[in-house]
Amino acid sequence: MVVNVKNMIDDELFFGHKACAGCGGSLALRAALKVLGPNAVAALPAGCMSAVGFNFPQLAFANNAMITPFAATASVLTGIEAGLRAQGKKPDDCTVVGFAGDGGTADIGLQALSGAIDRNDDVLYICYDNEAYMNTGIQKSSLTPFGAKTTTTPAGSNVHGCLTQKKNLFEIVAAHGIPYAATASVGYLNDFIRKVERARDVHGTRYIHVIAPCPTGWGCGVDETVDIAKDIVDTGLWYLAEYEGERVSGQPGGRFRLNRDPKQFASVPAYLRRQGRFRAFSDDEVAAVEQGRDAKWEVMRREWRG
Amino acid sequence: MIEVLWHGRGGQGAFTAARLLGAAASMADGRHALAFPSFGPERRGAPMRAFTKMDDVPIGDRSAVAQADYVVYLDDTLLGDGWECELKPGGLVLANSTRTFDDPRIVALDADGISTAVLGRPIPNTVFLGALAALCDRVELADVEEAVRQYMPAKLHAKNIEIVQAAREAVSRRDEGGSARRPERVEQAEGSPVASAENTATAPQRPASRIPTLRSGALDPAEFAHSTCFEGGYLTVKNAGWRNIRPVIDAAVCTGCLQCYLYCPDGAVYKTSRSDAVNEGSCGASDCSESFPKRASAREESLELQDGVPHEAAASGRSAVRQNGGIEIDYDFCKGCGVCAKACRFGAITMIPESEADAR
Repeated sequence: MVVNVKNMIDDELFFGHKACAGCGGSLALRAALKVLGPNAVAALPAGCMSAVGFNFPQLAFANNAMITPFAATASVLTGIEAGLRAQGKKPDDCTVVGFAGDGGTADIGLQALSGAIDRNDDVLYICYDNEAYMNTGIQKSSLTPFGAKTTTTPAGSNVHGCLTQKKNLFEIVAAHGIPYAATASVGYLNDFIRKVERARDVHGTRYIHVIAPCPTGWGCGVDETVDIAKDIVDTGLWYLAEYEGERVSGQPGGRFRLNRDPKQFASVPAYLRRQGRFRAFSDDEVAAVEQGRDAKWEVMRREWRG
Repeated sequence: MIEVLWHGRGGQGAFTAARLLGAAASMADGRHALAFPSFGPERRGAPMRAFTKMDDVPIGDRSAVAQADYVVYLDDTLLGDGWECELKPGGLVLANSTRTFDDPRIVALDADGISTAVLGRPIPNTVFLGALAALCDRVELADVEEAVRQYMPAKLHAKNIEIVQAAREAVSRRDEGGSARRPERVEQAEGSPVASAENTATAPQRPASRIPTLRSGALDPAEFAHSTCFEGGYLTVKNAGWRNIRPVIDAAVCTGCLQCYLYCPDGAVYKTSRSDAVNEGSCGASDCSESFPKRASAREESLELQDGVPHEAAASGRSAVRQNGGIEIDYDFCKGCGVCAKACRFGAITMIPESEADAR
């Protein structure tokens, strides 16, 4: 059954949480749990979603959920899955799902994630990527894009924010030969929902990387979350793609697939200028970002299409 | 000891103001001050408090202020029932509001207007430093200006000092008119003149589904978790206090396409039983998940249904959730982000200020 807005469950499994108004991360969690259902067991490391979901005595999750040590999201998922299996629970009935931010995935939790993929544990790992450590007040992570202003990469007259490029985590994960990996954006929620559903039904480790704008950290209006999450895909600065491992795709080395290939990209300057974090960007730097995008898409179109 | 209690929302600068006030009050020799915040969930938009204590002797009591000489509301939607409990006898409430209040203990000040005039956007915190300079003997205008110069970035000095002066002017003018004179003695309030949406909103009648629910009453410590396990879906407070604008659905325009429901980060938009009827009406029996109902036909359908089905909202008044094209908004948990209004292709959702909604 294809899950869509009309037939999705009415249950709100992540509700009453204390996320900022217009939080993209909470939208990703809410949508994913609606697909996975009340029997899913969630694990969250330190980060926004655990800070806003567990405020004792409040618990904003209607299904089982727990907080993990920061670096151990994937290891805890492994343990939960083993525990459920020992109790005789079938993995199809209760998906074991982790929700970690970009810092908890690409920096701090990366080796645990890599280990879980290596063991091919039957868990789903969802990274909600808001492109910095937002919970602690906007510090750079390795998924912060070039030029973004954070408190640890301030914008001044010489340096205009983050000096490094966004780590290519999707392909790092895919390079493990993971059964299923995908990128998504809360701006294209139907696409994200479809991927969560696909991931739910695949056995082995699954990984979904979803862009989830943070109005507080990105310097945009609270009502712009979804709009800006669409924009980042339309400009080509983020892409919607899937990877299926050898076993799932039946193809040696696995198969990449580009889900959305815009004929014409939306304006990159317009996307950057609507966010406070890119305010110091010079026109040359904007052009460099566009060049980087074009080079990336040239490869993706050549190798991931068809 | 003079104590000031600041109510604000994360991001409004209540703690900055509390600190600047303390700095100003301790500028002269022999004066002491203490300022500290109390953040709830540490989120932009979430209600938070900050405290300033001012005295002639070092201050040892570092606990939160329960009753203050001045209670400042940087956002008047936070000014709810029970505000008088936080006032010391003879105390004053300073509220960022364009409303007028019957109670002489409440001084309303259009801090958003004053700060917008200078900064171009509403940042109300330093306005109240000017107001306190006018009202409180312990706070001198020159000291406030010096505190701004010492504790704020250089580029903000001129504009914030301008705001402080404008605010002091505004309050002094009011004071001469006698409207904001400190009352000599406190009389019992005759029914609170203000009520926040948070307190008056009725419990949502959401259809039965699995959802974290609001539990009333304090949690008995005996029921605290005895192990690492704790019951899921347990809520004790609403999020309505976070909101200063609210989405209102125009039933005549809503097509029941459910995009607002899909994209609400808080799950505060919910389907009613009628949503199925509307959807079937516009989409037919086949599964039309991805395709949008055609605008014209969908609107006709929904209008027909509107006429055919008794309109329940009219009787239930302001606080009740409305009957629309199959969706309603849970105002107890809506934070007023406006994502739904942007997601609506048909312009059926408008965001209106809470004060206007209260007035309706």
